[in-house]
Amino acid sequence: MPRFHFDIHEDSRLIRDEDGQNFASVDVARKEAMLTGASIAREAFVAGSADQVVVDVREDEHAPCLKISITLEVEEPADG
Amino acid sequence: MPSDAIRAALIERLRLSSAIADEDIKEIEALPISVRHYPAETAVVRDGERATDCCLIADGFCARSKTIANGKRQILSLHIPGEIPDLMSLFLHVMDHDLSTLTPATLGFISHETLQKLHRRRPGIAELFWRDTLIDAAMFREWIVNVGQRPAPARLAHVMIELRERLRVIGRVDGGNFEMPLTQEQIGEALGITAVHANRVIRQLRQEGIVELNRGRVTVLDERKFQELADFDDRYLHQSPTL
Repeated sequence: MPRFHFDIHEDSRLIRDEDGQNFASVDVARKEAMLTGASIAREAFVAGSADQVVVDVREDEHAPCLKISITLEVEEPADG
Repeated sequence: MPSDAIRAALIERLRLSSAIADEDIKEIEALPISVRHYPAETAVVRDGERATDCCLIADGFCARSKTIANGKRQILSLHIPGEIPDLMSLFLHVMDHDLSTLTPATLGFISHETLQKLHRRRPGIAELFWRDTLIDAAMFREWIVNVGQRPAPARLAHVMIELRERLRVIGRVDGGNFEMPLTQEQIGEALGITAVHANRVIRQLRQEGIVELNRGRVTVLDERKFQELADFDDRYLHQSPTL
């Protein structure tokens, strides 16, 4: 079973995932990465600690095989 | 393990939360209990199984959980020595969730028949165990609030403080230091987040100088910040006969 690592970027801060986790397939890892990114983004956006969350998924020490990026965009129309 | 050590944590707990009578303690001390040892992360009784005994934790940590169709597991509660996490199986005959060990555990099994006879003979004990399952339900309510409404760092802090206050009753808190033998994946399953998000939260609490979780042990770094973050009010644990 391949071992995947999810490195998390919150704005410019990086947390490398040293441990990694086994997933049956890239597809399962992709879903887990989305859940992870979305749930970290939800908290970071509400807390105001970051506007962008990126999850880099890599197999062991290889280059990332998947990148998920979630960005907060808030528009406040001036005449609204 | 000597037979009084198997019951010791249970009796300590009942003394504190329910002011159990001395005659009832004698009855509990005389209960026939069959002791079995379980390895870590092993099912004790599974969702859908018919239980014939209730299980008293003599040593080790257990968890109750439920797994949904896509394989994701939600941990519903953590259990420590002195607790009978499947006491409700006395009346709810088929399990509607799993009970499993987190660490290697020593479990004492008391047959339903024995407990039913005891309840009929000693209504005081029946009331005590009824209260115990109601406190169990109160903890579930708090767990729902926690998972449903608090941000993840507060969720983790709340679960930690609850565990500490329960461990304190059985003398298992060493200063600002106590056991929480969960993997990051299990913490994620308890809080409703992924293992990687759980890792992120654990790091944040350490970096902010609030609390440290290392190899299954929690060390509190700043008690005031810890309490503030967790928004913890121990009333729902009813750790006194007057509560």
